[in-house]
Amino acid sequence: MLLKSTYNEFIKIAAKPRSYLGLAAITILVGVILFALKVDGLSFISFVTASFEQTLSFEGNILNGNLVAFIVLQMLIIHIPLLVALVTGDLVSGEAAMGTIRMLASKPISRTQLLLSKFIAGGTYTLLIIIWLGIMSVLFGKLLFGSGDLMVLNSDGLVILPQSDINWRYLCGFAVAFLALLTVSSLSICLSCFTENSIGPIVTTMAIIILFTIIGTLDVRIFDKIRPFLFTTHMASWRSFFEEPVPMKDIYRSIFILIGHNILLLAISLNKFNNKDITS
Amino acid sequence: MNFLFRLLIIFIIPLSVFSQVAEVTIENLNARMDRIRDYSADALIKSDIPLIKILPVRATIYFKQKNKFRIKSKGIAILPKQGFLDLSELLSGKENYTALFSGFDVIGNYRSEIITILPAGDTTDLILAKLWIDPTGYLVRKSQITTRTNGTITIDYTYNNQNKFGLPDSMIFTVDVKKFKIPKGVATDINKISSEEEKKPTSKTGKIFIQLTNYQINKGLSDEVFQK
Repeated sequence: MLLKSTYNEFIKIAAKPRSYLGLAAITILVGVILFALKVDGLSFISFVTASFEQTLSFEGNILNGNLVAFIVLQMLIIHIPLLVALVTGDLVSGEAAMGTIRMLASKPISRTQLLLSKFIAGGTYTLLIIIWLGIMSVLFGKLLFGSGDLMVLNSDGLVILPQSDINWRYLCGFAVAFLALLTVSSLSICLSCFTENSIGPIVTTMAIIILFTIIGTLDVRIFDKIRPFLFTTHMASWRSFFEEPVPMKDIYRSIFILIGHNILLLAISLNKFNNKDITS
Repeated sequence: MNFLFRLLIIFIIPLSVFSQVAEVTIENLNARMDRIRDYSADALIKSDIPLIKILPVRATIYFKQKNKFRIKSKGIAILPKQGFLDLSELLSGKENYTALFSGFDVIGNYRSEIITILPAGDTTDLILAKLWIDPTGYLVRKSQITTRTNGTITIDYTYNNQNKFGLPDSMIFTVDVKKFKIPKGVATDINKISSEEEKKPTSKTGKIFIQLTNYQINKGLSDEVFQK
């Protein structure tokens, strides 16, 4: 029953035009960035390496597919939550707004299974977004710019990784990025259980992400205690796979906290949805 | 008058002798350099630069008289901006510099003459160069180049297989590294809060180790090799 319900949810997501908005946005955004880097990528790189290039010179192909993919991911991973929330924030409240949730709840399926199927469908959509982002950035990046060593641009220095040591980092990075976006999906579905309109959960999800990101970015002591527990702090932990040595302890902590958030949000959603008085 | 004449003799004669000693050494050094028409060599480049993490990189170095030089590497290699051609370019013409003998020093186990090179014009980027030359084989054991734009670069040389051509087996470049910071907007690691470890002052000098093997000397290099 859960599988059938999940399948139904997929059909509903596929039928909504806004579901393709995310994929189209990624295609256009990555296309624009790839075009810009192809035309004037070297000046972008020299802006970054300028402070070193007074005394040092960099030999070899710096502007390659691996760096381009990394730049694309850095730029877009901040905006992807909006594209995810746009679809997942609508999964429960959209049904309430359209008046179909009452009929859905009257079907021979438990509310828990019904909500779980929405979580699975939302997660799968998130996975699709991440895979498409991967294809567009890594695959098209390498096709257009070729492969090579990766120069990771950090605010406090450079890490140069050999070409042979990069693919596994992208795979692991995408897996952690998926977990982070899954948390956004869970948050928006959870908020969706509390309202009966589509816009509310989407806007609230983005507002929470912006608020948490600001708290996480402010280098103020008062936030030191809560910062490690905000999911937004761990949304960029995919970058840790591009450090040398890889800080596995920090990555495990991020994974643990992100999974914890997902479980907590699922529990809150189940509690709310199971006890919800569906009148619409 | 007599006193002035003596004073002049006291200062001018040693300066002239020092200059002659230096010129003889430089001439011998140039004669050794002139034996090389071209060469290529395999290089293993290890960099120890503050705030840059990079694994050793393999590359090939190409040189052709008078001033063609190129390093080709499959991966990204970090090299000093100066120090490869500056000296040979400067020493290629007597009119370009004034050489002065500045004493003796021991580099490794080798007693070396210290030669100070002053560029003739004041428009060059190079302000001063110091060479520690082993007079027994006319090998440069150490050099120090001071430029207007890049600060001071010190290069230590070790020789083994290519002594007769004066080509080193390894070079250690010590370079000044300025404060480095990438804007967060470019790096976009916006969630990264600088830790106490990162706030510690970092070294102001970096080292680049270049190990050279498999020299191919005077085998004839095409100009195409040097085209980027």
